Amino acid sequence: MLRLLKNWYFWLLVLLLVGALFLMSHTATNRENLSPVERIIREAYTPMQRGVSSFKTRVGSWNDIFSGKGDLQREIDELHKENQRLSLENQFLREYRHEVDRLRILVGFEESNQDHLELLPARVIARSPGNWYHYLVIDRGLRDGLRKGMTVMHPSGLVGRVENVSNTSAQISLLTDRETAVGATVEETRDTSGIVEGMGNSRELRMINIPYYSQIKKGNRIVTSGLSISYPQGIYIGKVTSVIRESNGLLLTATVQPAVNFDRLEEVLVVTGFNREGSTSVSEAIEED
Amino acid sequence: MVRYLILALLPFLALFLQSTFFAAFKLGGAVPDLVLIFVAFYALMNSAGKGAVYGFFCGLLEDLYTGRFVGMNAISKALVAYLVGRYQVNVFKENIFVGVGTVAVATLLNSVILFAVSLGMSEVFHVDSGVLTTVIYQILYNSILSVPLYLWYYNSAKSGWLRYNGER
Repeated sequence: MLRLLKNWYFWLLVLLLVGALFLMSHTATNRENLSPVERIIREAYTPMQRGVSSFKTRVGSWNDIFSGKGDLQREIDELHKENQRLSLENQFLREYRHEVDRLRILVGFEESNQDHLELLPARVIARSPGNWYHYLVIDRGLRDGLRKGMTVMHPSGLVGRVENVSNTSAQISLLTDRETAVGATVEETRDTSGIVEGMGNSRELRMINIPYYSQIKKGNRIVTSGLSISYPQGIYIGKVTSVIRESNGLLLTATVQPAVNFDRLEEVLVVTGFNREGSTSVSEAIEED
Repeated sequence: MVRYLILALLPFLALFLQSTFFAAFKLGGAVPDLVLIFVAFYALMNSAGKGAVYGFFCGLLEDLYTGRFVGMNAISKALVAYLVGRYQVNVFKENIFVGVGTVAVATLLNSVILFAVSLGMSEVFHVDSGVLTTVIYQILYNSILSVPLYLWYYNSAKSGWLRYNGER
C-alpha cells in the first residue's frame, strides 16, 4: 500500500480521474457551444472526413458488396414502379393542394408549416465512432448559419436535430440515439400524443406515454406533433409495428419503425427556419424553448 | 521521438477510421473500438501506470471529438489500461492469443464501465437487450481486428518503431 502511495503514476492518475469527473459534470448538461479545444479537434478532422465520404458513397456497405446484380435489378424495378405510383399520386395531391389553398383563403387561415420550411442541404461526412451515441457529422457549420437545436430531416422523414456546431461541420443527434425524445402524434387521427424515443438501434423507435383510450394501431403513421417548439409539425417519423399496454394499465407503448434508413443516409436537409404561428426562425424558436 | 509520434498518431487515426470507414462497415450494428485496441496493446507492452495515462489521453481525445460527457471514455480507458497493465507481467506476450484475449476482455470491461457511467450521468438513457447484442458484436469485431494489429504492434514494440529502449 505504502509502495503504491509513493508511486507518482498513482497520484497522476488520481489527479487525472478527478479532472475527468470535473469535466464530465460540466459537459453533461446541455451546453450552448463547444469549447475551443473541441472545435479545433473537430476542424482538424473535417477536411479528411469530407475526402473519404465520397469513397464511402462509391463503395457502400457490406450489403452492397455482397448483393448481386440480380438484387440491384429487382430494386431498380421496384423503385421504377414506386416512382410511377408516386407521380400519379402527386398529380391528385397537387389538385387537392390548390383546393385547400383556395379554401384557406376563404376561411382566413394561416398557411401550414410545411409551406414555409427553409431547408439547407448538407452532406454526411462522418458518423459516431462508438456504439453508445448515434450521431452524424455533416459538412455545414456556423459559417452556413447552423445553430444548435435545428431540426434535420430527409425527404423520407425526420432524422434528428443539431447537437453541436463548429465552424465547418455540425453534429446531428439521430432519432435513434438513446438520449433523443420527440413529441409525436398519429397522423390519421391526430387524437393521440406521445413521445418517440430512440432505443440505440437504427431499426426501431419507441413511442411512450400514449393514453390507454387511444385508438392507435399497427400501421398508423407517426408524425411530429409540433408540441416540442424546435421541431416543425407534421414531419413523418415512422410506422407503428406493434402496440402494448404498460403494466400499470394506464398507458400504451408502441414500437415504431423509422421511415429513414439511418445506416444509408448520405444527404440530409437542415431546417434553418419554419413558419410557426406566423413567422418564426428556428433560432428564435430555440431561444423561446 | 518517432515512437512518441506514432503513439500520438495511432488514436487520432483510429478515431478517423472509426467515424468513417468502420461506421459504414459495421458488424451486427457495432463499430469496432480501435482506440481501445491500441490502448490495451500499449498497457500490455508497458506497465499499469503508463498504460493508464496513455489510456486517459486517448479516451480524452475521443471525448473531445464527440463533445458529450467529456471524460467518460478517458476514465473507462484509463481503468481498463490499468487493469491490463497489472496482469501483463504474468503472461507470455509473444502468444497471439494473449493479445486477442486481452482485447476481448478489455472491450467487455470498457463497455461495463461506459454503461455504468452513462446510466449514472444521463437524464435520459433508454436501455434494452440491444445493448448486450452490440457489446457482444463489438467484442467479436475487436477480437478479429486485433489479430493483424497485434502481430504488427508486438513486432514493432520488440524491434520496430515502437521499441522503448534506444529511441529512434
